[in-house]
Amino acid sequence: MTPARGLLVLETGLMTTVQDLGRHGWGAFGVPVAGALDEEALRLANRLVGNDDGAAALEITLVGPVLRASGAVDVAVAGGSFGPAPGKVIALEDGDVVSFTAARGAARAVVAVAGGIDVPVVLGSRSTCLSARFGGFQGRRLLRGDFLAAAPPGAPPLLEAAADLTEPGDDVTLRAFPGPQEAEFDEAARAVFWGSRFRISPESNRMGLRLTGPSLGLQETATRASEGTTRGTVQVTADGQPIVLLAERPTTGGYPKIAVVAAVDLGLLARTPPGRSVRFERIPVTEARRLLVARDARLRSFAGGRT
Amino acid sequence: MKEAGEFAWLLEYAGDEIAANAAVRSALAALQAAKLRGVRDVVPAARTLLVVGTPELDPESLRAFERVFERIRPGGPGPRSRTHEIRMVADGLDLDEIGSRTGLAPAAFLETFSGLTFTVGFLGFSPGFAYLYGLPRAFYLPRRGTPRVAVSAGSVALAGPYVGIYPASTPGGWNLLGTTQRRLFDLRADPPFLFAPGDRVRFRL
Repeated sequence: MTPARGLLVLETGLMTTVQDLGRHGWGAFGVPVAGALDEEALRLANRLVGNDDGAAALEITLVGPVLRASGAVDVAVAGGSFGPAPGKVIALEDGDVVSFTAARGAARAVVAVAGGIDVPVVLGSRSTCLSARFGGFQGRRLLRGDFLAAAPPGAPPLLEAAADLTEPGDDVTLRAFPGPQEAEFDEAARAVFWGSRFRISPESNRMGLRLTGPSLGLQETATRASEGTTRGTVQVTADGQPIVLLAERPTTGGYPKIAVVAAVDLGLLARTPPGRSVRFERIPVTEARRLLVARDARLRSFAGGRT
Repeated sequence: MKEAGEFAWLLEYAGDEIAANAAVRSALAALQAAKLRGVRDVVPAARTLLVVGTPELDPESLRAFERVFERIRPGGPGPRSRTHEIRMVADGLDLDEIGSRTGLAPAAFLETFSGLTFTVGFLGFSPGFAYLYGLPRAFYLPRRGTPRVAVSAGSVALAGPYVGIYPASTPGGWNLLGTTQRRLFDLRADPPFLFAPGDRVRFRL
C-alpha cells in the first residue's frame, strides 16, 4: 500500500480551516452557508492546480500554517502573499515543507491542493462550520499533527498560469447597494454610512466583519423580527456600528440592514486586514449584478494570465 | 419584494406576526413545489421568505410566483407536517421568574404550558434551533438584559412570542424554563433535523 498523498500540519497558523463554496440549501433548518470568505481566491487557486472550482481547500488567516507534503502534491495560493508566490502552482515533492507564516499585507488567502482536500461531505459540502462544529476537518480549525489527505488529482495543473487578485491598500473602497431596510435609517445615519471611513475591528471573524467608526445612531432592534441574511449584508447593531455579514453568518438575524456589499468586492474585503479603513461607494443593484456576472464569466474562462 | 443580494430577494408578508408567518410557511411550500429555475436556497423567518438564487433566477418568475400565491394563499399545516411530543424536565434557572412575571405559580404555569400546542414557525440562529409559536400573550416575556455566555444544549426557553430549544450549547438571552434530552440536530439521524417549519410540538412534563 502506498502512503496517503496529502499534507501534514506542522504548524497551524492563526485560523486555518477547510472550506469550499459553501453549504447551500439548508437555510430553512438554520444551517450557515460557510465556505471560503474569498470565493474568487478559492476558485482561482483550484483552477491553478487542475481542480473543479468548488474543491475543498485551506483558508488561511493572518498567519498561515507550515505543511509537509506526503507524496508529490501540487498546491497553489491565491488571495494574498504569505510567503510562497501567490497565483502560481508550487510543485511539492515528498517531504517538502512549505511555510505560509509570512503575511505581506493580506488577511487571508486560499491554499488549494491538487485533487482537493479529501474530507467527508456533510450536508452537501466539505466546508467547516466552526459555530456548530461540523464539516471540514472534524468540524474545527486545523491543529498541529492533522493530516489532510488529497483526493486523486483531476486535470493537469496550469503550470504556466499566473493569477493575480487585487491586494488591499490602506484605504479600501467597497461597492455596495442599498439594503432591505435602508429607508428606515434617517438621513443623518445614511449620510454617515455612505460618507465615512470605518476601521476593520480585530474582533471580526468568519461570521461577520465588525467595523468601527462614527455611530449611525442608536437603532431600535428590540421589536424587530428575524429575517434571512445574505452574504455581504451590512447590518447595524444597537450601538450604531456596522457589521458586514460573511460566509458563516447565522441564517437569520434581527438587526436592520442598511446596505449589501457587492459580491465582487467580498474577496477584497476578506483579504483586508484588521486596522485598515474601508469606505462604501453606492452603486445600483443592477450594476452589482452586471459586475458579478462578468466576474464569473472571467473566472470560468481563466486558464492563466491576469484576471 | 426587496433586494437582499445581487440575486436574492426578500418576500414579505403583512399582518400580525403569527398570520404573516403562516403565509411565509405556505409560500415556502408553494415555492419548493414551483421549482423555479436558479433557486439556490430559501430561508423562512418571522414574516419574510428569503429566496437566494444564482444568476439564473429571473426576478420576473419570482414576481409571477408572488402574484399567483397572493391569489390562492393556501392555509393550514402542510401535508408533511409532523407532531412531536417533547419530554421536558422543568429545571430551568428562570422558572420562578417566569412564573412571577406571568403572575402564576411555577406549577400553574407549567400546567398551562404543557397543555399548549406549538407550531414551528421557522428555524434559525443555529442549526436546528426552532422558533415555536403558540404562547398566549400573557406568556410573552422580554429577553434577559444580559445574555448568558453558555446555555446548555436541550434548554427549553421563552422570549417574546417564541418558545425555543437550544440544539447545542451556545450563548443565549432567553428565559430558561427546562431541559429536554431530545436531539434537535443530529448528523447521524435521517433527517438530521427533528423539526421542520410547520411541525406541531407539545411538551410533556
